[in-house]
Amino acid sequence: MANVITKSAAKPNDVFQEARKVFSASYVEMLREKGHDFLEQGGAGSFLSDSEGTRYLDCYTSAGTFNLGRRNESIKVSFKKALYETDQGNIVMPSDYKSMLARRLSEFVPGNLDCVFYGVTRGDSMEAACKLARGFTARPEFVTVEGGLYGEDSFALSLSERSGKEQFGGLIPGVKTVPFGDVDAARKAITSRTAAFIMEPIQAENHCRMADSGYYRQIRSLCDASGAKLVFDETQSGFGRTGTKFFFEQLGVMPDILIIGEAMTGGMFPMTAMVFTAELKHFFDIHPLIHVCTFGGHDLGCVVAMAALDEYDRLGPWDNAADLGVGLMKDLSALAAKHAGKIVSVAGKGLLVSIKLATEDLAKKFCSSARQGGVLVNTGRVDTTTVLIRPSLLIGTEEIGRMVIVITKTLEEI
Amino acid sequence: MAYKGSERMSIEERDYMQYLFGKHISQGQVTYLRTAHMDVYERNRKGATFTDAVSGKRFYDCFSSAGSFNCGRGNEAVIDALSDALDTYDMGSHLLLSENKVRFAVKLASLCPGDLNKVVLCATGSDACAAALKLAKGATGRNDVINMLRGYHGLQGFSLSANGKDYYKELFVPLMPGFHVVPINDLEAVRRVASRNIAAILLEPTLGEGGIHPATQEYMNGLRQICDEHGIMLIFDEVQTGFGRTGALWAMEQYGVIPDIMFTAKSAGGGVYVNGAVVYREIEPLVSYVEANPLFHTSHSGGTDLGCVVTGAVLDYIVENKVWENVATAGRRFKEGLKQIARENSDIVKEVRSFGLMIGIEYKYEFIAAIMSDCLAKQGLWAVFSANSPQVMRFQLTTAISQEDVDGILSGIRAAVKEMRIYLMLLLPLAKVPMIRKVLQNTKYQIKAGNWMRNLEEFGNRLFPRRAAPRRPRPLRAAFQRLRMRAGSTASIVRK
Repeated sequence: MANVITKSAAKPNDVFQEARKVFSASYVEMLREKGHDFLEQGGAGSFLSDSEGTRYLDCYTSAGTFNLGRRNESIKVSFKKALYETDQGNIVMPSDYKSMLARRLSEFVPGNLDCVFYGVTRGDSMEAACKLARGFTARPEFVTVEGGLYGEDSFALSLSERSGKEQFGGLIPGVKTVPFGDVDAARKAITSRTAAFIMEPIQAENHCRMADSGYYRQIRSLCDASGAKLVFDETQSGFGRTGTKFFFEQLGVMPDILIIGEAMTGGMFPMTAMVFTAELKHFFDIHPLIHVCTFGGHDLGCVVAMAALDEYDRLGPWDNAADLGVGLMKDLSALAAKHAGKIVSVAGKGLLVSIKLATEDLAKKFCSSARQGGVLVNTGRVDTTTVLIRPSLLIGTEEIGRMVIVITKTLEEI
Repeated sequence: MAYKGSERMSIEERDYMQYLFGKHISQGQVTYLRTAHMDVYERNRKGATFTDAVSGKRFYDCFSSAGSFNCGRGNEAVIDALSDALDTYDMGSHLLLSENKVRFAVKLASLCPGDLNKVVLCATGSDACAAALKLAKGATGRNDVINMLRGYHGLQGFSLSANGKDYYKELFVPLMPGFHVVPINDLEAVRRVASRNIAAILLEPTLGEGGIHPATQEYMNGLRQICDEHGIMLIFDEVQTGFGRTGALWAMEQYGVIPDIMFTAKSAGGGVYVNGAVVYREIEPLVSYVEANPLFHTSHSGGTDLGCVVTGAVLDYIVENKVWENVATAGRRFKEGLKQIARENSDIVKEVRSFGLMIGIEYKYEFIAAIMSDCLAKQGLWAVFSANSPQVMRFQLTTAISQEDVDGILSGIRAAVKEMRIYLMLLLPLAKVPMIRKVLQNTKYQIKAGNWMRNLEEFGNRLFPRRAAPRRPRPLRAAFQRLRMRAGSTASIVRK
């Protein structure tokens, strides 16, 4: 049976001992503080397991990756079959797999975002977006908002509010950072030298901060007036997470470049993408192979992504996310009112929900205590006093109910 | 149903796929590859070969996606491991630990020499390059980096800044400050910039995209010494040279020089998945830095559960089969054969360089490379010239390549060179005129001319479809053969 999760023979303590040596002791300590000191042993549906065979309701989903649940059966079957038929393929070659996924994505993503560049890891696609914006506009500057988190390479780091980034010396020059939601500051910053305005329309790791839709519309018109390109990073908010396929649909604003994350493959294959308008593709037409990536557009990854897109279309999990999100927000708001001393506020959209606690320490305790109750959650990385709830979008009402009970208990314990 | 590529593809289907690729990804790329008959659609990807879905023709894969298929394409041990793992695992959760992740890291570290004991999980070569540079910069508190002219480590922010060819950078400036570019194998050039401001010296033990330039033993020894003197971190990019490619598991073993930081990717994915890693020495200031900053590089898709299973299987295959032994013998045979070809064609070939099964043949003119790719493709050899050194055609065959296959490939190269001479008969005298040579070396014109010829060829094919029936000798073919013979004699005149 496919959904059986095997138990490991190794003793967790021995493995952690090795992890301290080969990675770092502080890493293992960090996990312990949040109660994440267990060994993950795969997952199925809304749950993941540890090496002892204990199951946890996965409300972390690797930061919004497992939107279709852990190890979605239908994607898995397609993956296994394709594994014996194709492989990575040679980079630089056009392949029918890349072509077919590109067509599929252009149909899937709303609006005129018809073109694609395939990346691998979170942040890869942001590098590509920055390069495309600079290359296409021949302008050097980027404008971004405070509180973003885009990735680990240097374009993404330059744009991110990421602690410790100053340790890496000079990053990419030409980035102006303006306060979130401040139209006047954006107006001053966006000039004829601006290649792109870059933001996450909802800052998942920063207490799900979003602005009213007027802000996004004004940014759009500022970009149009100056010729700057608008880049939305929907790595976490995409693929149904916020109640629509993509969050930008709720804003009535189309970006020129959209970054999508590993939810594209349902978390079965490391693959991300940058989708963009046909206008921008001109740059890649006149500079073929100026930006490539060996593992990007992996033929097997393309098959897995197509299987996942089929599942998204078949199941339309965004409707479930929208429905359950409303109830979840109501329950959590009630809890926030009851525990006003511990919870500062609750924010979010659909099944991307953030609980802001009074202190960072409390947030860590929350994670640890929730794990004892059988629910896996993680803290926000920009606002570390927050705990994010982002389960599989196929989660049922019963599981949501169980989650709320655990959170209620957790709040009493911490 | 997920998409499945059909075994054979009609011209119309191919044209549709190219139309889609052009519409959604890059028309320029399609046009570019068409010029050199490199727009093939890979099927039956097995070992060292694949077939083209359109022509049905079998190709030797001499590129291996820049050295991604070291354990051979469609390696059953690797595929079975991944298939089994899919019954339990997916990518796994970012930042959580699992037995797969730890076991893989321990295995990788145990296969690295000396005190290279610590691991950072990464997803791709450029991701690992970013991690390596962050580690060096963070640990030393210094900003500047020495990197190699024509060196290549990827095209993301960090790796692009460290790219040794301006072409890839100039459209995206300003990039990261403080990269000092030096030519490989020139210790004096390194000494001139080495100081206490330098965080790292970054190099591939053999420049891959830079045209197969192996570092000399003296150079590596010198670099190690300079790094020790100034507290600089020595970083080896083993993305292309690792996993048995050069005749040892890692190229660094051949030199007996241990870098402070090394990174790997490509073949780590076994041709079926994605993975990469940084391995660093258990020394100060590296260990303290990572202890103080355990999240200094958190690659989201780096070290996934499935990725770690796959790379573990790849390492097992490489080590159990000691593939480096075959690499050494096959590499020697290939190199000898190529050298022979070079001697016979010394008017156009400048040099043959190699390190194990990383082999490059450098021509005297840049424009020859594209023509050579084209001629090789016609002979059933799929080979690509170096991105940062287009006059170098490179061969990176699977590590398990047999002697017969090496001989087969060599005779293909021989035939391709012969065909190339027909083109050169016209082009070589013209290339002597500086202005015309400039035009010939302009990629834009090359693409235009190549596509024009390709269109003509396809038009001809449509008018006179090729039949499978035995061909009668054709007058045109006879004329072609005469031309070939004359090409040989022209070449000898040019040589004089």
